Amino acid sequence: MRLILAAALATMPLAAIAQDDDPIHQAIEARHGFYQMLAINMGMLAGMAKGDVAYDEAAASRAAANIEALTHYDLPSLFIEGSAHGQAEDSAAKPDIWNNLDEFRAKFAGLQEAATGASEAVKGGAANVGPVVQKLGGACKACHDNFREKS
Amino acid sequence: MPGPVREVRLWDPLLRGFHWLLAFFVTAGWCLGQFGPAKMTLHFWCGYVVAGLLLFRLLWGFVGPAPARFSHFIRGPGAIAGYMRGMFLREPSHWPGHNPLGALSVIAMLAVLAAQVSSGLISDPDDYINVGPLASSVSSATRAKAVGWHGLGANLILLLVVLHIGVILFYRFWKREDLVRPMLTGVKQVRDRES
Repeated sequence: MRLILAAALATMPLAAIAQDDDPIHQAIEARHGFYQMLAINMGMLAGMAKGDVAYDEAAASRAAANIEALTHYDLPSLFIEGSAHGQAEDSAAKPDIWNNLDEFRAKFAGLQEAATGASEAVKGGAANVGPVVQKLGGACKACHDNFREKS
Repeated sequence: MPGPVREVRLWDPLLRGFHWLLAFFVTAGWCLGQFGPAKMTLHFWCGYVVAGLLLFRLLWGFVGPAPARFSHFIRGPGAIAGYMRGMFLREPSHWPGHNPLGALSVIAMLAVLAAQVSSGLISDPDDYINVGPLASSVSSATRAKAVGWHGLGANLILLLVVLHIGVILFYRFWKREDLVRPMLTGVKQVRDRES
């Protein structure tokens, strides 16, 4: 067992081990995880709004509640110095974020505002999902337009 | 030797309609893209109309009246250089159609607009409300990159339109030739040339 572990470790590039301890790398990974969670729940709501996914009140409300909860995480705190596009690998964060931190925070507050009450608002029928998705999507766009590198 | 100046019906009604509709929908689409509402439904519709107009122009370039045909106005470097030699003379060109240099601008605009429509159709800006209708038929890396190409395309279109208007003003005030009226009425003063 130990031998296998040692062999496995030996094949891991040293750089990868070092990267795991790097706070910048960790912050970027955490950001991606955050967006992935947003995406899964947004994807479900958007699917229901478009009719690609059958409307399910409980599932819609749960997805919206997840998004509400996510927006209460202090996402901007993950945008640490040195984690901009061009400074760190796999980052789509425009360096402009760090010149306009207040505006960046305001964009995230905009998402939180758009998400407030979403878990109730999506109840009562598929027709109620569309407006919520539009509000949330508008908040996504507002930040992407200014602060997301268009790869 | 150049012949006498005469007035001809140069631009056919469909070509003129195409031109002004394209001008309107490209301008509307561009402004909606930059300043429009977060939900870009109208911007999308402008794109679909532009796509249809481009298809018409492509077809018209092969089956339309002579001045509309690509074979009529796309010329080689020799003809372009020849045209440019007389370009700064303070006299109207009386050119019967797109001149050899202007042809490059026509082709550039059509190509950039076609690329712009294509990148728009496959764009996914990750906002769940403005996803291009064909985004799901390309890879996730491609649909993310398409957003960048679409932004670049918008800048190129602005550049080409500014150039277009600048050159029209140059013809109007330096060469004393009105190129806007022929595009409205179809009638232009031209001089036949042997070439």
